[in-house]
Amino acid sequence: MKLVLEVKELTKVYKQRRGENVLAVDQISFSVWKNEVVGLLGPNGAGKTTTIKSIAVLIKPTGGEIWIDGVNALKDQKRSLERIAAVLEGNRNIYWRLTPKENLEFFVGLQGHSVRRTRGYIDELIELFKLKEKQNTPARKLSRGMQQKLAIACALVKQTEILLLDEPTLGLDVEISYELRRILKEMAQRGERTILLSSHDMNVVQDICERVIIINHGRIVTDDRVENLLKLFRASAYRFKIEGRLAQEQELALKRRFPLLEVEATDHRTYIDADLEGSNEIYEVIEILKGGQARIESIDHKEPNLEEIFLQIVKGDKR
Amino acid sequence: MRHLVLFWALLKKEYIYLKRYSFNTISGIITIYLVFLLIFYGVKALGGANFGDTLEGIVVGFMVWTFAIFAYSDLSWAMIQEAQQGTLEQLYMSPLGFGWVAISRVAATFIFNGFIVVLLLLLMMFTTGKWLHLDFLSLTPLILLTVAGVYGIGFLMGGLALVFKQVQSAFQILQFVFVFLIAAPPDKLPFMKFLPLSMGTQLIGKVMIGGVPLTQLPLHDLLFLVGNSAFYFGLGFLAFKLFEGIARDRGLLGHY
Repeated sequence: MKLVLEVKELTKVYKQRRGENVLAVDQISFSVWKNEVVGLLGPNGAGKTTTIKSIAVLIKPTGGEIWIDGVNALKDQKRSLERIAAVLEGNRNIYWRLTPKENLEFFVGLQGHSVRRTRGYIDELIELFKLKEKQNTPARKLSRGMQQKLAIACALVKQTEILLLDEPTLGLDVEISYELRRILKEMAQRGERTILLSSHDMNVVQDICERVIIINHGRIVTDDRVENLLKLFRASAYRFKIEGRLAQEQELALKRRFPLLEVEATDHRTYIDADLEGSNEIYEVIEILKGGQARIESIDHKEPNLEEIFLQIVKGDKR
Repeated sequence: MRHLVLFWALLKKEYIYLKRYSFNTISGIITIYLVFLLIFYGVKALGGANFGDTLEGIVVGFMVWTFAIFAYSDLSWAMIQEAQQGTLEQLYMSPLGFGWVAISRVAATFIFNGFIVVLLLLLMMFTTGKWLHLDFLSLTPLILLTVAGVYGIGFLMGGLALVFKQVQSAFQILQFVFVFLIAAPPDKLPFMKFLPLSMGTQLIGKVMIGGVPLTQLPLHDLLFLVGNSAFYFGLGFLAFKLFEGIARDRGLLGHY
């Protein structure tokens, strides 16, 4: 498979006015292959946006290299920008006084491409993003969801190899977010674009991405296929079903031993979710529970989701 | 060819804005015309018998000032607006380079501004009853050269806005500085010709008031104007590139 994006030891230090330095990205390296859909996850301030903007040559990195389809992006910005389109901060990427059609035509022109030759694709995108009814309405009169869809369409119309999406579903209601996910997933399945997307919405990443890179404190803590992560965590995620409620001292003892363990109590039952390594840790939990009145009804493997995996990785519980 | 396509896209966008927000455009023209009326009747009341001598100068000066304000605001205000609405980063992602995007935009707005200024000029000449020489072949290159220095200031202010953000008050002060640069005569204050606008305004006055064609203007004055405009435009553009580098380094392009 063809390598289309290579980030090598990317580092970004922001110099503050008071002379303090903030290390936003710390020597991160990763590669993205043609038609891959990669999710960039991380808590606020982890370095996701800095990474994406550095790839889009909007931020000058302090160190490292970025290669886009064989072009050194930091040395030959114009050629690298032929290969990249980006949607940054959701709906703030379009001209609100222009209609969707005018916006799409403008962004084709901004790329230096003929609008006449792209007309068919513009119409296709208007259909795909369900913007036909509003194609002649100024963008400022559209709903936020429609504006966001238009912003993505404006990036796609540039017909670049790589699409960078920074929080594409941020602030959208469930319905529009789902629709956007559907469109992105279809695009990904058709292998139309190589996509690198950052999101707080784990459902988006789990749904669309094949691979996930988790960044924390400016460093990559995980870079793996989503299915591998789910498999790995499925093997160690357990749910204990307890009859009745836990005694306070039992709950404290459990949390002291397993800080990330979660206890959820209902009227008649208590559920304990824990990530446990091997049978010894399972027995430890059982031992603690034996000390009280609680009766264990069942112990099952829990189906983890990406959100739980992300939290565990970021908290340094598991890498 | 691709550069022309980009220029066309920007020209079309400006045209749509002017047409779709025609009320805004017309009210802008009326406001400028009202300011002219205030100056005209103010000077008329104060000037008395000598009024006729300065009237033509006021029309020329006001025309250059209007052009300068349009030119300057097209760059600096537009950059702030683009940053506010989040499209500045998209412009920076054009593979043809932001420099070309900015220059194409300047060229596109210069064309539309030209039409508006000519309309205003006709209104001013009608109001004052003084019909000046409209030798467009001589005036177009002179106006271009005169406002090129102002575009340089626009680039400088745009660059400052990228880094320091809240610089609108400085923008407004500069509009009054332009009045001084246009009104102060370089033949009486020789140092003025080293500043932007002053020399150009004087030469435009010679064409419009004196009816002197471009080819009969003193060559050393024309060369001086070319050098002056190139200096301020170049200086402004260099400063802009410097601030742009700082903005990229601090990750400020998308902020406002």
